[in-house]
Amino acid sequence: MRFTLLLFILYHILKRAVKKNAAFRSYIGAIHNVRVMIKTADGKRGRVFIFDRGGLKSRSGATHPYDVAIVWSDPGTAFRVLSSQSDEQQFLAAAAGKMKIDGMAFFAQWFNDGVKLVM
Amino acid sequence: MALINGGHLVGKYLKQVENVDIVFGISGGHIESMLDGFTEYKIRTIDVRHEQAAAMMAHAWSVYTGRPGVCFLTAGPGFTNGLTGIANAYLDNAPMVVLCGRHPLRDDLTGALQELNQMDIVKPMTKWAATCYDTKRIPEYLSIAFRQAMEGRPGPVFLELPPDILNVKVEESQAPKPSRATRKYTVHPDDADLKNAADIINGAKKPLFLGGTGIGFSACAEQLRAFVDKSGIPFMLLNNGRGELPDTHPLSIWDAGNIGMMVTIQQADVIVSAGLRFNWILQSGKIIPPATKLVRIDIDPHEVDRNRTADAGLVGDAGSVLKQLTPLVQKRDHSEWLKTLRAASRSMLDYEIRTRENPSDPIHPIRLAAQIRSVTGEDAMYVADGGDTVYFGLTGFMSKHRAGVIGTSSGLLGCLGTGIPFAMAAKLAYPDRNVVLLNGDGSFGFNSMEFDTMVRHNIPILCVVNNDCAWGMIKHSQELSIGADRLQCSELGTRRYEKMVEGLGGHGEFVTRDEDIVPALERAIASGKPACVNVMTDPTVTSPATPLFYQSLKME
Repeated sequence: MRFTLLLFILYHILKRAVKKNAAFRSYIGAIHNVRVMIKTADGKRGRVFIFDRGGLKSRSGATHPYDVAIVWSDPGTAFRVLSSQSDEQQFLAAAAGKMKIDGMAFFAQWFNDGVKLVM
Repeated sequence: MALINGGHLVGKYLKQVENVDIVFGISGGHIESMLDGFTEYKIRTIDVRHEQAAAMMAHAWSVYTGRPGVCFLTAGPGFTNGLTGIANAYLDNAPMVVLCGRHPLRDDLTGALQELNQMDIVKPMTKWAATCYDTKRIPEYLSIAFRQAMEGRPGPVFLELPPDILNVKVEESQAPKPSRATRKYTVHPDDADLKNAADIINGAKKPLFLGGTGIGFSACAEQLRAFVDKSGIPFMLLNNGRGELPDTHPLSIWDAGNIGMMVTIQQADVIVSAGLRFNWILQSGKIIPPATKLVRIDIDPHEVDRNRTADAGLVGDAGSVLKQLTPLVQKRDHSEWLKTLRAASRSMLDYEIRTRENPSDPIHPIRLAAQIRSVTGEDAMYVADGGDTVYFGLTGFMSKHRAGVIGTSSGLLGCLGTGIPFAMAAKLAYPDRNVVLLNGDGSFGFNSMEFDTMVRHNIPILCVVNNDCAWGMIKHSQELSIGADRLQCSELGTRRYEKMVEGLGGHGEFVTRDEDIVPALERAIASGKPACVNVMTDPTVTSPATPLFYQSLKME
């Protein structure tokens, strides 16, 4: 539940940044239809973020198509690591096999770097 | 009294002083006596079908042998055709000697055939360029050319030889040759700088060593092995430095791929970089977090603080510097850090690893590279050329050989079409090894007529075309920037490139299914001919290099 709420809050932070944060707006630019999914491995929880021509849409759920998915072993780990906002924690989670990337890894890094701009 | 003409003086110098036994080019009227000089002194000539291939082969020869490659160009269009290869060698810091004809001095400003101010065109893309005006001084000019190509930071040099110089005879004793070949001199860093660097390295908890082309041209496998084995630092060798130690060395992290490298760079507390420019691929150094300590080794002092101020800068030939640095570093074991970064990288590469291991329809290029590797193994020399294709080759292939995996189009010029000339040079340098080129279908078009050269000169490379019917990187970048419904000049058709190769006398295979890849490769190798295996791959697939490319050109 906390993980789902965190993703929902993240969506609203990014949605606001698209409108108000010039650095973030510039960062995402006019990129066409890049879909970043954050979800749990069991597919029960997730949210997709869709960046398209300067706008952002998002949908709850783990079954939407994506270009890259950041897949967490469980919602507790996901919440702990994501809320820490620490690159090192993400790295260690990956090393422990608790976070994996499916699809275009570059976009995961791109998404994380964008999030850093608004946090 | 012994008379010799200028063209023969060139051949004699190349053979007897610099031990050059192979040169690359196309014939031309302005350079006839030089061609005869090659015959006279038994220098093998590889005559290609476009001069850019000659320049690229000479460049490649330097990468594979460590000695300057030599190409010859005739005046005018021969010269202009060679420029792309010269520019590529310049941005790659490759020692190459270009011998070029020109219109006669006698006919200056008369509207002579192929009269062109070649010097002003070529100077910005060479380390040194000159015209020889005196036949007797040809050996002296050649000696300068080789020194300029080799000494310090290497690079291409250009020597213009007019017919008035090449086609006249002089008394040989009046054209003295240097007593020995060009040799490479080294300089050493200051002791205090070495100690500073060693202190930083000895204090590292999560170090990473990155080596570039400077490692390759230093030919410093022995010194590098001693350094990494003692310091215990995980390493990755890039560009033309790859393979100076085998990709399979226990401390090499090539199994983590480029993505693993990018992630590791951001977690390392100390980075030791040798012979590697921090260019756009490394986001001009911005990828390295501000708190990370940086030890930088480079033969060019201007590189040491470029794009990122080094905490310790060591100027000199990479091998020489490492030899001095190793006694000062402490014996360390970073195996836990290595284990962690490998495990993290594996999670990041989860998708690629699964793709590698599983057949797909249409064929995924990652799977294609894995299937190639399953046939030719780590004893082959691999070349990759293209946009996305170069990523799939660099991450999919492993070799135990020096320069065993080269992404020819991933240099600073981003020069597509380099794969075929590089593969040809690799086969000439190592005739007993399989040479495999993974070529994008777009880049294949630039130099594919060189299959004729391969047939004439018996250079049996294996070229596998990753055929996605597009300039894939451009197409997928356009999908990000201007939208999939407005693609422009980025799509190609389904073409039977293997039939073109068959028509030129080579071996061709056409593959559309995963299960046919390996048999087709085996038949191609068994043919003993220059071979093209044309593999239709998934046109929707893109590589992580494409968004990086897109991002680098996003201006607002």
